[in-house]
Amino acid sequence: MSENNKEPGMAYNMSKLHKVMAILSFIFFVTTIWVFLDDYMRPWKGYQVEALKIQRRHLDAKIAEASKNIDANKLADMKARLAKGEEIVASRKEQITKAEKEKSAIAAKIKAQSIVNGILNGKVGASNFGFETAEAHHEVKAVEKNFKNLAELKVAFYKGKDDLKAYQAQLKEVENKIADLNKEVFDTQKEIKDITNILELLKMAHAQTDISPVFALRNLPFIDFMDPTIKIRQIVVNNLVDDRYFRQVPKVDRCITCHTFIDQPGFEKEVNPFKTHPRLDEMVGLESKHPMKQIGCTSCHGGEGHRVNDFTTVAHMPDSEKQEKEWIQKYSWKEPHHIPSPMLPKSQTEASCVKCHQGVELVPGATVLNEGISAMEKYGCFGCHKIEGKQHKRKVGPSLLKIAGKVNKEWFKSWVWEPRSFNKHTKMPAFFRQSNNSKPEFVKLNIAEVNAMAEYIYDKSKPYEPNEKYHGGNAEKGKELISQIGCLACHGVDGLEDQSNAVKAYTGPWLSGIGSKVSPDWLVSWIKKPWHYQEDTVMPSLRLTDPEAQDIAAYLLTLKNKSFEELKFSPLDKKDRDWLLADYLSAFDTNASAAAKVAKMDDREKTLDLGKRSIGKYGCFSCHNIEGFDGYAPIGPELTKEGSKPITQFGYGIQHDVGNTRGAWITAHLQNPRRWDIGIDKVFRDLQLMPNFYMSETEAKKITVAILGQVSDPIPLAGVKRYTAGEEVYNDGMKVAYKYGCVNCHKIDGLRGNILNMYLDDINQGPPRLVNEGHRVQANWMYHFFGNVQPIRPWLKVRMPSFNLSTEDKNRLVAGFQLGAKQPTVVEPAEFVKWLPGEREEAVKLFNAYNCVSCHAIGFTKETPLAPNLYKASERLRPSWIKLWLKNPQNILPGTSMPSFFGENGTEPSEPSYFGGSAEKQIDALAKYVVELGLKEGAK
Amino acid sequence: MLKELINHLAEPIVSFPIATFLFYLMIKHYKTFGSKKFATWFTILSIPVLIFFFADPNFYLIIKTPDNVPIGILLVLVAFFTWFTMHKAAINDTRMEQGLEPVEAMPENREKVWSWPNLVYTELFAIIACTAFLVVWAIVFKAPLEESANPTWAPNPAKAPWYFLGLQEMLVYFDPWMAGVVLPVLIVAGLIAIPYIDTNPKGNGYYCFKDRKWAIISFMYGWLILWVYLIIVGVFLRGPNWTFYGPFEYWDFHKIVAEFNINLSEFIWIKGLGIGMPKNLVVREIFGIILTIAYVGFIPVWVARATSFGRKFYIDLGPIRYYLFMTLVVVMMSLPIKMVLRWLFSMKYIIALPEWELNL
Repeated sequence: MSENNKEPGMAYNMSKLHKVMAILSFIFFVTTIWVFLDDYMRPWKGYQVEALKIQRRHLDAKIAEASKNIDANKLADMKARLAKGEEIVASRKEQITKAEKEKSAIAAKIKAQSIVNGILNGKVGASNFGFETAEAHHEVKAVEKNFKNLAELKVAFYKGKDDLKAYQAQLKEVENKIADLNKEVFDTQKEIKDITNILELLKMAHAQTDISPVFALRNLPFIDFMDPTIKIRQIVVNNLVDDRYFRQVPKVDRCITCHTFIDQPGFEKEVNPFKTHPRLDEMVGLESKHPMKQIGCTSCHGGEGHRVNDFTTVAHMPDSEKQEKEWIQKYSWKEPHHIPSPMLPKSQTEASCVKCHQGVELVPGATVLNEGISAMEKYGCFGCHKIEGKQHKRKVGPSLLKIAGKVNKEWFKSWVWEPRSFNKHTKMPAFFRQSNNSKPEFVKLNIAEVNAMAEYIYDKSKPYEPNEKYHGGNAEKGKELISQIGCLACHGVDGLEDQSNAVKAYTGPWLSGIGSKVSPDWLVSWIKKPWHYQEDTVMPSLRLTDPEAQDIAAYLLTLKNKSFEELKFSPLDKKDRDWLLADYLSAFDTNASAAAKVAKMDDREKTLDLGKRSIGKYGCFSCHNIEGFDGYAPIGPELTKEGSKPITQFGYGIQHDVGNTRGAWITAHLQNPRRWDIGIDKVFRDLQLMPNFYMSETEAKKITVAILGQVSDPIPLAGVKRYTAGEEVYNDGMKVAYKYGCVNCHKIDGLRGNILNMYLDDINQGPPRLVNEGHRVQANWMYHFFGNVQPIRPWLKVRMPSFNLSTEDKNRLVAGFQLGAKQPTVVEPAEFVKWLPGEREEAVKLFNAYNCVSCHAIGFTKETPLAPNLYKASERLRPSWIKLWLKNPQNILPGTSMPSFFGENGTEPSEPSYFGGSAEKQIDALAKYVVELGLKEGAK
Repeated sequence: MLKELINHLAEPIVSFPIATFLFYLMIKHYKTFGSKKFATWFTILSIPVLIFFFADPNFYLIIKTPDNVPIGILLVLVAFFTWFTMHKAAINDTRMEQGLEPVEAMPENREKVWSWPNLVYTELFAIIACTAFLVVWAIVFKAPLEESANPTWAPNPAKAPWYFLGLQEMLVYFDPWMAGVVLPVLIVAGLIAIPYIDTNPKGNGYYCFKDRKWAIISFMYGWLILWVYLIIVGVFLRGPNWTFYGPFEYWDFHKIVAEFNINLSEFIWIKGLGIGMPKNLVVREIFGIILTIAYVGFIPVWVARATSFGRKFYIDLGPIRYYLFMTLVVVMMSLPIKMVLRWLFSMKYIIALPEWELNL
């Protein structure tokens, strides 16, 4: 084994070993460098360098702009003046030098004196302490000694202070003198600075973006821990937390590390991540309601805000397949794993509003979310699914307590079987003929169930006799009335498709095939006084005269569904019924024993029992009042925290084409709730029950957003929007307003007002918009208005209906509006009308000058009135609102026909010859006059 | 088809006997196994097999998971070193059969060299090379982080670190206190006890098999089959819910396996004797207790008395060493025995005393 060049006692050749060592050392060196480089090169640094370049570009543009704004001639002029001034000043050189010398001498004195004073100050303190301690311990001798000492020191101390003041005064004097001597130069310099200031600041900012040696040094690997300019930037939101399970830690969002200009206007046209936030007025911006520093980023967007590793790990989520492809190509994006709540795709971000905005009907500005919530209200999702904060929602279906007096049983069964075959617009979902129960053996059982349900409901139904008779009317007139008086705010109507589709009403059913459904007498009775048939209905009376009611009924009765009328529903198969009952009973019993129990029941009992069980099973009682179901729990799972449910808990069945996100599942589920049963072998009683609403994908996606917002994220009280007592009352009042569909006609504080879509040509022909309504009207007037509706705007064809409101509901509405506007209950108009000397006379002249009566004609002229009765104003309106209204009506109701007499700012009267041209005085006088009209008129 | 067959073969009920049989073949023909020719052919043949395996997306998904990659490498190393020792042992055994000394005892190999630099310097090489390797590894394969720990929502599957997956696999067959406490303690204690039990003077300083046949067989069986094999199963073949998934199977969260296990006492009292379960706990479990006592107490005595190799052991080791050794062997063998009982009879516990938290 021994080789030639191997020494004794050696197994290896030494020089070979050294070579190996050299190679290994080199490899080790390379890996060490690699470690530093790998640690140093982070994707976000690239973005920050890029951001620096962008900022530089913007600054360049701004500097160019600023330089352009500077008048070159003026500047040259000033510079010339400066040169002249310098000459003048130079001639005073001697004086100036002398003054400067004087100044530095005084400055030295000041310095010396402040040292002396400092020493004295310390001594006084120490001596004082000695004196006070001695006093406290009654050491008489020490007291005397210290006191003497202290007195001397204090004298010196006060003198020193005084001296200092004297020196400072001298200094000021000298400084003024110097300034005077330099006047010509200093003044011109200041003027120059005034014009060039912005440019100078911009240049300084520009210098900050220079890639200078200092910049390089500060960002050098290994020493960049000290004071780098390229660094992770973060927002720590102390009043919001991230749930780390073992503890909740303040939210840390580092998104701004790459999204560098998200809070700065002016970067709208850059590409991401350098874009400005698109809604800077609402979010992120310093002035907005949701400033970045207080809300963070992931509170709304979701995702892993504290991570900056790379594009994927922060859990960015694409909004479409196109974007997904783009991201894969651009950022090697992968679907995030192991992240309980990835970012919400852009179209679903509004879901996050729900987290904080609890207890309100809608969230202003959140368009998609609001449409989702409204769609849920439309379909009555809240009936079967409990959602915290939505329990007040009414049952969306009509009461079935007197159904036998409304429709016949045959119609009822065919309707339940397939509602859309009667009315393709219906909100009533389909329970039968679905993808999971269309097998013949299931259809048979479904038929038995429908028969039994009808039997049960008709058995429990109370008798009902209409209180009106139909004796024919003019269908054409009826149709016109329907389109004008406001029916379309709640109902879509066959034959008026254009308007119906514009309004998209959903509070009441789309009226189709009515003539094949109800009796003429019932119909007249219902439209004249709905609560005669159903006490708790939200359908109001439009105070129809008898001919009007007959005309409307006549039109509705022309709407028929002939093919549906001919349908005959299969009769009840007793064998199927008994099997179903036995199946129910066998849950806690053997099959034989269950069958025996069923056999003992009598025929009627069996049918009714199955009927009740089936209604309970399908949850009909969630939407309809049915006797015998008080206190039944909703049949669907609670959705309060659905947006945080682990994705593994969503049942996909074998539907692998549905995406693996909560949103994708919910959207798919809404479009066909029974799809998860496809391809799964299930017995009849285990089938999915959620009915099919035949929702469009768009609608399903909107509802998805609303549901995704229902998360369990812990939000500390400090971080939630907390309502004042007044706002709480307002929110409560809005619940009533939304329940009765007030918002279908009135756009309340910017939300809803669906019927206004019919009046896009002239918004003044539609129902008035309510903006801060509690400030506009007197609480007392509003309360009585609900009980006795009197037309206010005689030119409107659409009518304010009379609702069957309870006293409680009226009070909630009134209090809601009043406290929402922070108004007192009573404002005494008489107290407002206190004339100054001569004011009233001028007010009358002004009233005529503005020609108020040309529109507010009632009581003044015989002209057709185009505006409300001024004699009623004091009773209805609050004086302070009248003033606000006069000042600039366009501010309150854009597009109103009331002219703005005082210009955009409410300060420039168009009749300046009165009250010395003071808008304020004019407005005050006019308001007083209008209020006084009503007071005098009293009886009118 | 082939993939389905392999999936089926990988199930512990099939693969465990196969592994045991392969172990038997390896021991029986260790000279063939230890030949360079075998190693060459094995390597050549395993390349297409590996390509076939890696081409499967599901297999690739599991094997390329960052924390599984080192385990794969370790398995290759285990295979190599097993072959390497057997290779060296085979050469020496052949030499000794011819009456020659082992390779390590040849004159040129007995020459002494300096520990510096021959040993220390080369150790430094190893340290540097390892460090560089680990650094590169850490950069290239990022740490596989999962979601933040949630005490109310454990990950599924919840897996121990890879070196404990053998123990975790034992949990399938044993009560936690047995698989988690008693057996690990005995493993450690047994490993510590080896030098004191093993009095065989042969085999020091050179590779061999024949001279230390029983020591090598019992250790290697415990190591390769009862430890490494269980780790392979635990790492690569156990998915969500600790359900078995074949190497080509997708880890479907919802996979359901039909399993219903029965205690020995239930077998005997209900199925065998057809009478109810006795109220008295000890009476109820009496068969299991007798069996266990017989297994632990009787077998070592019987082996020493009735078998020739047992008698030889007993004489060579002396009574204390012998019984210590046999207890360890018996306990070790309880694992494969329990596994076989589970597969053949769905046996849950031999002694089932949950009332006393005592299940065997």
